[in-house]
Amino acid sequence: MNYFDYSEFEIEIREDLPATYAAYWTQLAKPGNWWTGAQRVAIAEETRNALTCAFCAERKQALTPYGIAGEHDHAGVLPERVVDAVHRIITDQNRITQALVDDNAANGLSKAAYVELVGIAVTVFSIDEFHRAMGLPVETLPEPVAGEPSRYMPPTLVSDMGFVPTIPAEGATANEADLWQPGFAHNVVRALSLVPDAVRDWHKVAGAQYLSLPGMQNMVQDENRSINRMQMELIAGRVSSVNECFY
Amino acid sequence: MLRVSAMTTETDVDLQGVNGDAASAAKGIEYGAELMSFAESLAQRDDQALASARMTLQRVAGDRVMVDAAGVAANFQRMVRIADSIGIPFDNMQSDFVNSIQAELGLTRFASAQHSLVDG
Repeated sequence: MNYFDYSEFEIEIREDLPATYAAYWTQLAKPGNWWTGAQRVAIAEETRNALTCAFCAERKQALTPYGIAGEHDHAGVLPERVVDAVHRIITDQNRITQALVDDNAANGLSKAAYVELVGIAVTVFSIDEFHRAMGLPVETLPEPVAGEPSRYMPPTLVSDMGFVPTIPAEGATANEADLWQPGFAHNVVRALSLVPDAVRDWHKVAGAQYLSLPGMQNMVQDENRSINRMQMELIAGRVSSVNECFY
Repeated sequence: MLRVSAMTTETDVDLQGVNGDAASAAKGIEYGAELMSFAESLAQRDDQALASARMTLQRVAGDRVMVDAAGVAANFQRMVRIADSIGIPFDNMQSDFVNSIQAELGLTRFASAQHSLVDG
């Protein structure tokens, strides 16, 4: 199937966007580090189910998300705990806590599996959000590819920030040498590094939707964009503010 | 980053555009009010407002701007969820420059500020 074919759309969309999205769809369908292809696609499906989940809507209105019981509207493929994690990331992300991530880890959803799940959920969500912004329907999810997860774990990890271990700033070497220039990485770049492929996906999609990592150093205007950096950062700031994101 | 890019280009901007003030968003930034409304309606999941904002942005700024704006907005729908789902602190909480911007925008009112105020 030819995914992300915008040729019939009334507005011309620069080619790197559908190419990047299609490449991500190919990766999404394959086994990852901690989930099978079928599970990864099921996680993607739950990012969409979260948006119409009645329990998520009710919980979002509650003063605390931890004092309310209920069942999510979901496809029935993934365990309830996994569904809950995906739905929270999409609909109530700024009330996720260390205690929740630790409790999940103690009950079968390891921190590494959680990080891969976060990477899938946010990437699929952002591609869907691009479609919604443009007035396009979301793309059909890919058919899963059979196989087992690699269970790859980076050799050097630290627990110096956030809810999960990460590769330290100076630790992007050997297999991870492509993740960032050793010695310098913003926390948001390190955030998903327990699963290095999630960082690689982050780079690729951010490079098409926003700017490449080197391109982020240019505070004036990227030559391949029609909007300058101030315009970009105004958009970024407003989206972050509506989402009540401090970072 | 808005402040840094404005300083780099020696442009006078009003950061309150980030908090949704249209006049502030327009100060020093071409199509600022339209870009802000487009981003806001997407993040608020207000489809009626989004359709209106999309049409307005396309009319005043053209297709290429709309595509690039949609990309950036979608990207930050992802970024905020990475930051909050992993609970990462802000990188440079010791900076007076950063602290002054956080104070100007009132960012410590957000629940996710605890990741930075505790850990930073």
